[in-house]
Amino acid sequence: MKTKKSMLVAAWLLIIPVLAIRAFTTVYPILATIRNSFFDIRLLQGKNVFCGFENYIKAFKDPKVLTSIQFTVIFVVVSMLFHIILGVILALILNMKFKGQRFLRTIILIPWAMPAVVIGMAGKWAFNNDYGLVNDLIRRFINPNFNYSWLIYKDSARFAVIAMDLWKDLPFFAILVLSGLQFISHDIYEAARVDGASGLQCFTRITLPLITKNVATLTIPFTLWRLTSFDLVYSMTSGGPGEDTALIAYRITMEAFTNLNTGYAAALAVMLFIVMLVFTGINMKIQSKMSD
Amino acid sequence: MKKRVISLMLCGTLGAAMLAGCGSSSGSSSTESTASQAGTQAATETASETGTASDSTTESSGAQDNGDYDLTLYSIMTTDPDFDQWLADVEAGTGLNINVIAAPTDSDTRQQKITTMLSTGDSSVDIIEINDEMSTTFKNSGWLVGLNDTVMTDDIRDKFPQGYVSQMITNNDGQVIGVPGYTGYLAFWVNQEIMDEVGIDSIDNKDDFMKYMEAVSDGSRYGYGGSWEKTYVFNEIAQFVNMFGGDYYDWTNPANKEAMEFMHDLVKNNETSLDQLADKYEQMNPKAIDGKYGCWFYWGTGSEYEAADMLGADKIHQAMIPSFTDDGQRYIFTDSWSYVLNAASTHQDAAVTFLKYMADKGGMEASYKYFSRYPARADVAEEVVPDSDPAKEMYSKYASECNVMGRPMLPQTMEFISAMGTIFQSYVRDEITIDDFLTQAQSYVEQYQ
Repeated sequence: MKTKKSMLVAAWLLIIPVLAIRAFTTVYPILATIRNSFFDIRLLQGKNVFCGFENYIKAFKDPKVLTSIQFTVIFVVVSMLFHIILGVILALILNMKFKGQRFLRTIILIPWAMPAVVIGMAGKWAFNNDYGLVNDLIRRFINPNFNYSWLIYKDSARFAVIAMDLWKDLPFFAILVLSGLQFISHDIYEAARVDGASGLQCFTRITLPLITKNVATLTIPFTLWRLTSFDLVYSMTSGGPGEDTALIAYRITMEAFTNLNTGYAAALAVMLFIVMLVFTGINMKIQSKMSD
Repeated sequence: MKKRVISLMLCGTLGAAMLAGCGSSSGSSSTESTASQAGTQAATETASETGTASDSTTESSGAQDNGDYDLTLYSIMTTDPDFDQWLADVEAGTGLNINVIAAPTDSDTRQQKITTMLSTGDSSVDIIEINDEMSTTFKNSGWLVGLNDTVMTDDIRDKFPQGYVSQMITNNDGQVIGVPGYTGYLAFWVNQEIMDEVGIDSIDNKDDFMKYMEAVSDGSRYGYGGSWEKTYVFNEIAQFVNMFGGDYYDWTNPANKEAMEFMHDLVKNNETSLDQLADKYEQMNPKAIDGKYGCWFYWGTGSEYEAADMLGADKIHQAMIPSFTDDGQRYIFTDSWSYVLNAASTHQDAAVTFLKYMADKGGMEASYKYFSRYPARADVAEEVVPDSDPAKEMYSKYASECNVMGRPMLPQTMEFISAMGTIFQSYVRDEITIDDFLTQAQSYVEQYQ
């Protein structure tokens, strides 16, 4: 009994430094942000006064924020949808046995290994009408007279941002799905084939049910990363044209570090934090039900 | 027992490691010489990269490393191939050992980092180069040291362009907060090869400009080119407003409306490209060099065109700003990057020595020699810049024949610039009407003024 108690003390002693660091680097900033969200803090004007829920009310009336929320929802939903569909397809391809399989598995991770800012800058040039890779390919293979500036129109600029996001992170998602696929025993497939199951039936009755939980688990961090993504837009479109591609995390960054409206930025950050908490809670609940 | 001993040892090690970072910095900050020990460049960069590095951390690391540096400069010029020679020249001229931190090349990132450093009282950087947008934003914040009594004394101040100094870098208390690093103009650039091709000798007024637009534009080539990304287009909006005799702070002025409709019509008539809504200067210049634009406005002395072997009287060159009004007035914007002194700096004496040098002939000559930066002081320019430099003749003409102005900026500079750029982009894409644009522009002026 005494040994057990002393082990517990030792365990606490070991984790106290980590807890202290975590409290200082995570808990304190969160509490400070929540506190700041109730103040009208404008560094340039030397203003720091309590304003209650004013920042929160202002957020719902601010057209820039409303545009950001709209695009963030589109960005997260569309991007995640394609992550799941294309990610699973890519994982299935990578799970097949063919020559060069290992090489392919390695090189598809290159975009993921690059910083998002670099991807964004590459995207800015890739979608340039005069010098861009995308239009050049279209002119070579589809229409030699093709002219279109992707980043100056709302819909095409949004498409371009989502495309670059997928190009960067889809391979990583696929590799993680692949790791789940590799846990499925070949015996199950062999037994199914002996029973006369087709390839499609094997996929829908065996593969899909067995990787669903894996995919659902992956969806949490990948969705949260999309919700907090700002670097891609920052370097690729600067939120333009107008504010049409300004993700909410980008808007928060601009308010906090460019416009120096710290209180308002804190309120937006708290709102995003709540959305992320709710999303994570729902997702975990679904996963728990799936386990049952 | 063994496990317990190991556990205690691990705890002890962790605790010691944590406490090691909490050493007092008093020893290192007691004197100028030790306090100025900014440490290795890598260490200092790491500190400033975080943007929240405390003074004590920086001083502490500096004290532990070495005493090589007298001050730290946050510079935008480090990517210039001649930067090392410039630094050696300045170090020789000032007798200072200068630690240099490279500022990010991206304008948004740079401004955010500098804002973070100044607003948090980060003392790891002593001298910072800031542009007009940042000068307007920071000059009344108290984050920069006033230089009237030390560097920009009356006799020195009088040698700089008075309009620029008073409009852009003087705060509400009358203190000059920076030393302009050069004089730049938002010059009017033309492609002489295209002008020769279409048979137009000069673009002196609005009629000439329109004839040139018509002659040059053919769908793949445009009479006018610009950089209309939402935070860049502000320069050209303000330039055209001036050319039409308008007032950037008064959007009820009919001349402003005329200017905006003129820019809109350039797009409508295919005389300028809507593609440039996504372009910053880095996207605009390749197009200018490739002969896609007949004329454009751009800062600098044309080093990009020179690098592409396209600078010259028969290729790309600066020209006189056309006059669009009946009174024949010409308007041009001037700009600069200024060296400013961080109020949190613990190396004020060394910083003042540096700034004095940069405000004097030696510093300006070095900047001209290594960076082709045109001296901010007319007397130094006369002495240092050879007559063979085409910029000398043109800059002299700009100064004498144009109304030289600082750009219209308000304290919340970037927010204002971005807001105006956003509605301009909406207007030229026909998402809003001219009246909507004017109403919103006026409301932004009132909001941010």
